[in-house]
Amino acid sequence: MSRSPERARWRGWLAARFDAMLRRARSDPDGVVRIGARQIYILPTRFGLVFGAVLLVMLLGSLNYQNNLGLLFTFFLAAVALLAMHHAWFNLLGLELQARPGAAVFAGESARFTLSVRGRGRRTRADLRLSGAEDAAAPLAVPAGEQSGCALVVTTRRRGWQPLGEVRVETCHPLGLFRAWCHTLPRAASLVYPAPASLAPPPPGAGAGARALPRGAGAGLEDYAGARDYRHGDSPRHLDWKAYARERGLLTKQFEGEQGHELWIDWAALATVDPETRLAELARQLLDAAAAGARFGLRLPGVEEPLAAGEAQLQRCLTRLALFGLEGGDGH
Amino acid sequence: MATERAHWPEPVPDRLQRLWLTLLVIAGALPLLPRLDWRIGAFASALFALRLLALRWHGVQPGRWLLVLLTLVGIANCLHVYGSLSGRQGGAALFLTMLALKLLELHARRDLQIAAILLGFLVVVQFLFDQSLGLALYLALVVGAMLTLLADINATTGGGRLRPALTTTTRLALQALPLTLVLFLLFPRLSAPLWDLGLDAEQARTGFSDTMEPGAVSELVVNGELAFRVRFDATPPPPDQRYWRGLVLWQTDGRRWTVGEPPRTGPASLALAAAADRLDYEVVLEPTDRRWLFALDLPVAAEGVVLAPDHLLRASRAVESALRYRVRSVLDARTPAPSAALRDYALRLPAGTITPRMRALVASWRGEGADDQTVVRRALAYFNREAFHYTLLPPPLGPNPVDTFLFETRRGFCEHYASSFATLMRLAGIPSRVVLGYLGSEPNAIGGYHMVWQSDAHAWVEVLLPGRGWVRVDPTAAVDPSRIDNQSASRLLGAGNPVRFELAQDAWLARLARGARQFADSIDAAWQQWVLDFSAEDQLGLLQRLGLGGLGEYGLAVLMVVTFSLTLGAVLLGLVRAPREPDPLVARHARFCRRLARIGLAPHPGEGPQDHGRRVIAARPDLAAPVSRFLALYLPARFGPAPDPRTVARLDALLRGFRPRRRR
Repeated sequence: MSRSPERARWRGWLAARFDAMLRRARSDPDGVVRIGARQIYILPTRFGLVFGAVLLVMLLGSLNYQNNLGLLFTFFLAAVALLAMHHAWFNLLGLELQARPGAAVFAGESARFTLSVRGRGRRTRADLRLSGAEDAAAPLAVPAGEQSGCALVVTTRRRGWQPLGEVRVETCHPLGLFRAWCHTLPRAASLVYPAPASLAPPPPGAGAGARALPRGAGAGLEDYAGARDYRHGDSPRHLDWKAYARERGLLTKQFEGEQGHELWIDWAALATVDPETRLAELARQLLDAAAAGARFGLRLPGVEEPLAAGEAQLQRCLTRLALFGLEGGDGH
Repeated sequence: MATERAHWPEPVPDRLQRLWLTLLVIAGALPLLPRLDWRIGAFASALFALRLLALRWHGVQPGRWLLVLLTLVGIANCLHVYGSLSGRQGGAALFLTMLALKLLELHARRDLQIAAILLGFLVVVQFLFDQSLGLALYLALVVGAMLTLLADINATTGGGRLRPALTTTTRLALQALPLTLVLFLLFPRLSAPLWDLGLDAEQARTGFSDTMEPGAVSELVVNGELAFRVRFDATPPPPDQRYWRGLVLWQTDGRRWTVGEPPRTGPASLALAAAADRLDYEVVLEPTDRRWLFALDLPVAAEGVVLAPDHLLRASRAVESALRYRVRSVLDARTPAPSAALRDYALRLPAGTITPRMRALVASWRGEGADDQTVVRRALAYFNREAFHYTLLPPPLGPNPVDTFLFETRRGFCEHYASSFATLMRLAGIPSRVVLGYLGSEPNAIGGYHMVWQSDAHAWVEVLLPGRGWVRVDPTAAVDPSRIDNQSASRLLGAGNPVRFELAQDAWLARLARGARQFADSIDAAWQQWVLDFSAEDQLGLLQRLGLGGLGEYGLAVLMVVTFSLTLGAVLLGLVRAPREPDPLVARHARFCRRLARIGLAPHPGEGPQDHGRRVIAARPDLAAPVSRFLALYLPARFGPAPDPRTVARLDALLRGFRPRRRR
């Protein structure tokens, strides 16, 4: 029992050593990963092992009974298996992968990346499987001279730049006897906004403005300016539930009367101690302000985003929050 | 170590794949069914039917407990029929049963793969029963389809269902052929089995047994199988001299002739009458499961086999696979006089079967004190003159076959003639013995060899004449050709022996049948010689021809590894080189880089085009315009989502005017 932590440390050290020994295909300066000969690993699958064992039995039996036809047949299958191994290897060799980040997401959501795959040469690449692929059941095929795309999904936890990380490309082409795979590191990072707090104190100056307006009680009806598609972070109180019930989709109501309000969303105005919580509350305030159609600005220590309105302003402010206090502004 | 990770969902085989596999297994099992007991076949067929029904109506699919029960019943069935699960037939029966059961359990891709492996094994097992070219071709088709199915199971990509899998398999198979050939030629063989599971001696083979009784040979004669092939070094002997001796029978009980136990008095020497008539030839004998071999009357030397007393050839063990041996025969050999004991043995008569009318007949030949040769001649004349008929369908003979045949039925086949003639000779005091073998051979013009069929089986007599030794006498040949039962002979259409009675066989149908048979047999012979008979000796011969004979089996192994690697290298080179064609964009960029290299601004290893361009512009601001224009065209086209097809032409135009020079 006393050796258990020691052993855990050993195991961790071994895993780290093993991990360091793995060869990975990295991006070149253009951001393209090219799979080279030295980065491809290949091992028989379980089916391949059984196949090999049966071939061995066939070989021994045919040799023993001097059955030339059995030998011929065994050799043919062995040659096919051997070539299948090379085909699996060639199926990965010379693949070029390039990843592009999708739209920014809030922490806790899944960041989407688009990975485009093309093969050098005129071989058709078949049966490519990518770890983290959105549709794991459908392997990717790349016709000769063309390129195929595939959506990858990475779960995010923290704000900032979320790198795509390692993508394992593997194939069992052509017969499923061998599995060839390659650890690739396509360079791409998706922006992750801080997850908005569910509740936040109103920003200074909002007062009885946007926040205190009674909704749905009839008073604000004349201010109703229409609806737009729901965006993540919209307050549930602004949802158009009637439209939802009529199966018109999830819409967010917008109110005319809120336009023209000016809000400063200020780091210093909040009293929360934990900086991440404070950022989460700021994110909530930003979303609410944008949902209310107000003109708003953002003040962070050392940074200020001037007053503006609209979607672009919201993205700018959220990006400030996402990257606030992080080293190296662009994670590339 | 196999690494199978669990994050890919295991694809479920669709109905088409299951149907396909089922049909393949049925196709693969079909040739095996007639070789196994009908109960095994019936069980497997019932399972196949159940499988096909379950594909249509899913409710028929048996549950797990029923499957366990079916498995137990299947094993019990095999045990009940064969008494053991090993051995050739027991093993094959168990295998077939298991494969049929596996078909009822195709839930995941893995199940299909296992079934495919079992099918492959079933194919190899069948080669233990039959190695004919036709079966091999048929099963090759089954295996090709099996590989295609495996490729189809693996490639879950949509599109045309069969086409991509078929393309993949065809390419794999074509590439595998040269490798297979190298392995087949050079893989070291065992010259003797390591273990023996007693797989053989279960099947009755056609051929002679070592006894002769009425009806034994005629059974063979209606058999259409090949007995052996002969390749003569020089001119073959005339057709009426092609008597192939196999067995000598000494003892009779009046009905059966057996080898008996003739007294042996040391090795018999051979006096050759004329050395000019030597014949050298090579025989490839089909498996007989017996030890005796056949050679032209009379063999004097043999390679690879034993020349036994009475000038018979013997193999060192039972012939279970085709056997090749070389023989030298002398057609007019004269054997020395045997010992007195042997002479007496060849005069023994069966007790109680000699009738007075037989004695009277022999006495009439001997009558005026004629010598032995005259007696033989008179006996032959008797068979020719009297109303003896040659027929494959002789009437049944009573308790004394020789007497009944000679004086009552007078209808029989060669064993009747040989048996009665030998008995009569002994009665006349001339030592005689019966010889079993084949008469004649059919030349195969296509293959350049002769074929001897089971239908050529024959029995004749050898008599001991003073001063001449054992002399061959064929009483059957004495029958008047007009008394040959053509109806029974016509059963031998295409397999008949034109030599024996000079039967007219110029009907076009017979000639066509004969031509087809010769063609088929020459293919069979080539298959036999180049594939089935290829042995360790042939491999060493090959090594010797390459000048590596001194290396022996190690040389063979080394040669195999080297040749195999070279062949594999060549195949892979084809795999790499053929499909490669440079991307037109990359080619333009390479030209761009070459131009810059002339002024010492080649890209550094690992430097991307963008960084390279920045460095060039920093070093040579005067080139900023063309370089940035080039990259602005090239980069989005190369790495962007949808390249503009006109980009290549634009890049070409740009490159035409781009000739940077060094600054002085």
